[in-house]
Amino acid sequence: MTDLVVDAHRLIGPVPFDDLPEDPRPEMDRLGIHQAYVTHTLAIHSDVRAGNEALLDLHDPRLVPVPVLLPESFEPVPDWDVPMVRLCPNRHRFELTGPTALRWLAALGVTAAVDFEETSPGHLLALARELPEQRILLLNPGYRRLRAIAELMTAIPNLWLEIGTVNTQRGVEWLAGHFGAERLVFGTGAPVMDDCGPRFLLDHLDLPEADVALIASGGSLL
Amino acid sequence: MILDAHGHLGPWPDFLIPDPSADGMVALMDRLGIDAIGISHLLAVGPSAEEGNRLAFAAAERHPGRFGVWQVYNPHQRNRLTDQGVWGVKIHPDVHQCPLDDRRYDPVWELGLPVLAHGQTDSPWSDPDRFVTVARRHPGVPLLLGHAGLWPYGFARAAGLIRDHPNVYLEICGSKMTGRWIARLAAQVGADRVVYGSDACFLDLRIGFGRVALAPLDDADRALIQGGNLARVLETTRSTDRGTTEGRLP
Repeated sequence: MTDLVVDAHRLIGPVPFDDLPEDPRPEMDRLGIHQAYVTHTLAIHSDVRAGNEALLDLHDPRLVPVPVLLPESFEPVPDWDVPMVRLCPNRHRFELTGPTALRWLAALGVTAAVDFEETSPGHLLALARELPEQRILLLNPGYRRLRAIAELMTAIPNLWLEIGTVNTQRGVEWLAGHFGAERLVFGTGAPVMDDCGPRFLLDHLDLPEADVALIASGGSLL
Repeated sequence: MILDAHGHLGPWPDFLIPDPSADGMVALMDRLGIDAIGISHLLAVGPSAEEGNRLAFAAAERHPGRFGVWQVYNPHQRNRLTDQGVWGVKIHPDVHQCPLDDRRYDPVWELGLPVLAHGQTDSPWSDPDRFVTVARRHPGVPLLLGHAGLWPYGFARAAGLIRDHPNVYLEICGSKMTGRWIARLAAQVGADRVVYGSDACFLDLRIGFGRVALAPLDDADRALIQGGNLARVLETTRSTDRGTTEGRLP
């Protein structure tokens, strides 16, 4: 059992397609997850500004706010004191490597989290070329694209991987063997995605205890 | 007894499986306390049912009691089936592009053994509605609806469709399943109709098992799902499958 478990990818709020727990804290308590980086679902599925305001009003040290960044050409860069922002370029219809997104990310200087389904390897490579210091957390990488992910992790040293959906036999160990546990970050995507299986996996990884503890607490990213 | 209803061995071309081996599977099973896992070889699901089944039987022989064999039936290849030393038959209507209720599967149902079938909501081959058709035709054949419909938007519908067909069970593996949904399915159809499967090595055994281990279930329901239900199915057919039951349960 690891001492500190941080879920780098969690949601708070309602979703339009299911009746899921809106508050992550009871399940975090039940599963032994001490802290979570959370995004408000309203910011993803409804009004970005309203969702981010609701998130930033939480003021719970267990819930680290990850507001959604929606680059707007004619608005100022948000003045947020947060460690990470989330971008949804497909859903919110903007270019991850467009001039506004690049300008805003450069100004903010915080980690950018993006779901793999919201982007592409080409866009991630372009982002890393344009902003080589930009720290990127790739969410929901899944298990079917490990070959592409390996290329990305090789080419982009500032890319970290959330492992909640890396779900094929010993896939996490394979990644740790190639890139080191420090590049891997425990996260779940709950409650839309599953937290039970990934939480169990964390306690049963065939890796040195120090590596498991590192992954559990956010690799070298968080 | 902990029994995993849905497992595989071997590689699959769509993506990298870091450890597709039988030895690796058994090592993880030992670590987690899983008594046995029902396997079909992915070669059998893919292009060669006969050779893939041979590999599955060979793995089961190398690890006595740890692997139950779901022999794959390919309706195009019409490969031979046995009623000896197997858990039953695995069919994959989507890969084989043959609807679950197609008469070409009749040799499977006529065997009378449990059947595990891929079940995918909105698929033209394996939508849960087709399980109802088969269940009506063959009420004596235990039928595991693999993946419980696969897509989250289909889980509740799959449960509703099979509720009045007691020979159909929801098997819960899949990358979109959650511990929360397992509890909801158990509440909807009864925990005695939900069967644990992992889809390892296609998916990671630890995630599939852990999803049930940590699902918000009471201990009695968890025990049913983790093995009690499948043991009951295998025991029931053990007594009716013409006495050829060696290798069915550990």
